[in-house]
Amino acid sequence: MASHDAHAAAGAHAVHHDPNIGTTGLDNRKVGMWIFLGSDCMFFGSLIGTYLSYKGKSVGGPGPHDVFNIPLTSESAAVLLLSSLTMVLALAALEKSDHKWTGRWLLATALLGAHFVGNQVYEFYTFAVHDGLRLSTNLFGSTFFTLTGFHGAHVTGGVIWLMGLWWQLKRGRLNKSDYTKVEIAGLYWHFVDIVWIAIFTIIYLIP
Amino acid sequence: MATHAAFMPGVKKEVAYTGVWSWITTVDHKRIGILYGVTAFIFFVMGGIEALIMRAQLARPDNNLVSAQTFNELFTMHGTTMVFLAIMPLSAAFFNFMIPLQIGARDVAFPRLNALSYWIFLCGGLFINSSFLFAAAPDGGWFGYATLTTRQFSPGHSIDFWMLGLQILGIASMLAGFNFIVTIVNMRAPGMTLMRMPVFIWMSLVVQFLVVLAFPAITVALILLMFDRFFGTLFFAPAAGADPLLWQHLFWIFGHPEVYILILPAMGIVSEVLPTFARKPLFGAPVVIYSGIMIGFFGFGVWSHHMFSVGMGPVADAAFSIATMLIAVPTGVKILNWISTLWGGSIRFTSAMLFSLGFIAMFTMGGLSGVMHASPPVDLQQTDTYFVVAHFHYVLFGGSIFGLFSGFYYWWPKMTGRLLDERLGKLHFWLMMLGFNMTFFPQHYLGLIGMPRRIYTYAGDLGWNFWNMVSSIGAFIIALSILVFIINAFKTRRSGQVAGPDPWDARTLEWAIPSPPPIYNFAAIPTVHGRDELWLQKHGDGHGGAPTPRPATPTAQEIAAIHMPPPSYWPILLALALTFMLSGLLISTYQIIAGGLLVLYCMFKFALEYHRPAQETH
Amino acid sequence: MADTHAVAGPQSHGGQEPAHGGGHASVRTYIWVALILGFITAIEVATLYVPGLPNGLLVSSLLVMSAIKFVLVVGFFMHLKYDHNIMRSFFIGPLLLAILIILALMALFSAYILLPRP
Repeated sequence: MASHDAHAAAGAHAVHHDPNIGTTGLDNRKVGMWIFLGSDCMFFGSLIGTYLSYKGKSVGGPGPHDVFNIPLTSESAAVLLLSSLTMVLALAALEKSDHKWTGRWLLATALLGAHFVGNQVYEFYTFAVHDGLRLSTNLFGSTFFTLTGFHGAHVTGGVIWLMGLWWQLKRGRLNKSDYTKVEIAGLYWHFVDIVWIAIFTIIYLIP
Repeated sequence: MATHAAFMPGVKKEVAYTGVWSWITTVDHKRIGILYGVTAFIFFVMGGIEALIMRAQLARPDNNLVSAQTFNELFTMHGTTMVFLAIMPLSAAFFNFMIPLQIGARDVAFPRLNALSYWIFLCGGLFINSSFLFAAAPDGGWFGYATLTTRQFSPGHSIDFWMLGLQILGIASMLAGFNFIVTIVNMRAPGMTLMRMPVFIWMSLVVQFLVVLAFPAITVALILLMFDRFFGTLFFAPAAGADPLLWQHLFWIFGHPEVYILILPAMGIVSEVLPTFARKPLFGAPVVIYSGIMIGFFGFGVWSHHMFSVGMGPVADAAFSIATMLIAVPTGVKILNWISTLWGGSIRFTSAMLFSLGFIAMFTMGGLSGVMHASPPVDLQQTDTYFVVAHFHYVLFGGSIFGLFSGFYYWWPKMTGRLLDERLGKLHFWLMMLGFNMTFFPQHYLGLIGMPRRIYTYAGDLGWNFWNMVSSIGAFIIALSILVFIINAFKTRRSGQVAGPDPWDARTLEWAIPSPPPIYNFAAIPTVHGRDELWLQKHGDGHGGAPTPRPATPTAQEIAAIHMPPPSYWPILLALALTFMLSGLLISTYQIIAGGLLVLYCMFKFALEYHRPAQETH
Repeated sequence: MADTHAVAGPQSHGGQEPAHGGGHASVRTYIWVALILGFITAIEVATLYVPGLPNGLLVSSLLVMSAIKFVLVVGFFMHLKYDHNIMRSFFIGPLLLAILIILALMALFSAYILLPRP
């Protein structure tokens, strides 16, 4: 009993140095990010549920398969998946303190994300101008632009975050001891990717 | 009183702990708890005044104290205020103050995020109430049903204030939810396994999960409404093929877990108060915990019981009806466990105990009327009548508010170092019991004889006159009881009896430290050997085991080595920037853009505030 | 639970460096996962162009393929395969809830994906 107390007390003292590590040995920020992602599942779940509840009920106006550009969207999906790879490569490089490659992979991830957003802007523009599909055109327009728009906004936020990390790295203010900070940015980024996996299949592919 | 506080090794700052600036920049969970408590209480009184005006209007038939439009604003703001600005933040006051203390921690996982939640809450509460100044108070009910709330039928800014205000408040709640979950999971003292946590912590944990999982649904609902009102989308436009029921579903997917968010903290408080004043451990604590978890989980499966009259069809009606009846089971189990805690106990009838006992009785009554609503055919008579008003006031006032007052009387000495006056406390309780039952019990009858909800007046020949008058008098008696509490609070600030660390001979860790606690809470993080650790230290386990050793008195050196996070002004700045950005929707796009850039700037400064410079400091 | 911090895996360093969980996928694994993801995506898109494929089969195969991609990204890239149970439950619980809510909304609105319109 006494040794258990001493051990527990020693444990309490050891984790005192890094205020981010809790008594379970887990990093607060990582646990927090997973809960946030769980919450974000409910957010996108509600938006996807809205889309599916209104699917096929538009009165007039273009429908999904009148306007979808599957090759473009597939390229977007591939780009985002690739960006998830570059993200984990950035993290792996950081763990080896290879700052050169950490920076390159981080930048690559951000640029791939920006490319995704660029594709989406082009897609929205084409729908609005060439196909006459806007937010206010019909239920499809309302639900589609809102759902994919919020996803795109999440991607944009992620790009800004990654660029911020890249900038910190360039200024010599990021190293292996900041692993968790980059890791949680990665978790967010992969989440945005898996939401797209869901949206791509449910909205674009399924007839 | 200045004390040093260093977060990064090698960085020392002299920090003052008095003055307005120290409150504005505080990241101390105890101070944030007090901020929540005081702010929420003020909003509670505002919501109460809104109720008094309504009851004054309804005291007599064909009354003209207020117009129909004003009455709509009153019941909308009363509901919105009581749910989002009173009960939730009063619970948050206790989450903030007590969670770290009960789990043996020095603060929450993310202290600045904690402060941010408070300031966002304050901004949201002020924002939504500022609508009164613009003669645009929300008037669509606290539940804002489409299509009434669409631009076509609510052309002014009232609904915009409501919608934006709730979005702002939602962000505050969710941030706090993430914070408390990580705190409870990751910062418990060594030896405090999940099943050794106090029941209040368990109920709080379930509540935080409900918050982070239910609020996204209302966030989406409000976004859809906002897009309809501002960008011409068609989410609630029947002519375009849309279904207004989408609003109701999304709202109640949030709304039903929300009512469990409102009641579970009070249930947690009662689970602490009853054992203390019965001098008996909580009967079947694991069962109470599991019941709380089940209530939280199944709470997501019952939402359409608010929609039995919309025509969902027999399958949906039956499914939600069965689920609703099932959820009464774990609730009933908890009530039986609380009563069993009292059985054979050595009862002390302090004010805190009286409010907890009152909770059990009043909440049970509210639960019974709730179970009646669970049957769709029965509900078709009761829905949209005063019977429902009676039900939810019994559970939310008789339940949540009574429970919260129990918490106030119980934890006041810990938070302030002084006891509230017991005689005034008992006067408060009995006046409130009288007033509350006078106000709401007759409403069951009024509902059953046909009085609808949300009407600003009624004809004098319907047989409703007498009980409406009784109900209104009761409301003013409630107000009187609140006044007694306010007098008690002010009176005992200076001259109240000084409480030591443990005035109640209680069971949990918060009573092991001084009242009020020092900024660092525990000089040495305790080691936990069982549930009710403090009781084990004082009295042993009651089965012949010796009391567990009390922690040694800390040395001055140990105390000086404690590092607490320093204050920060980024939380309030970020909260202001966020409010500035979102309110731009009502003013101009440039404000949204400027606000957005400001928010980004504040977020980066917040995130990098303690990031080290290029040279490592160790 | 006697040892409340036995959770940290072999790579934790107690003080300055955070615990990275029980294990790690190698760079090779990541690249393989990425290739598989690309491959499945290509199959998904190709499935759309298979002539005469019954609707039910198309939909279910697409859902299965996207679920596999989902699990691969979450398990490997997001490291959840190696992480502590707590983080797994914090994600999977809400994910299941979100899926149930989607299905409930579809049923309540008679989304024609479940009940084909005449």
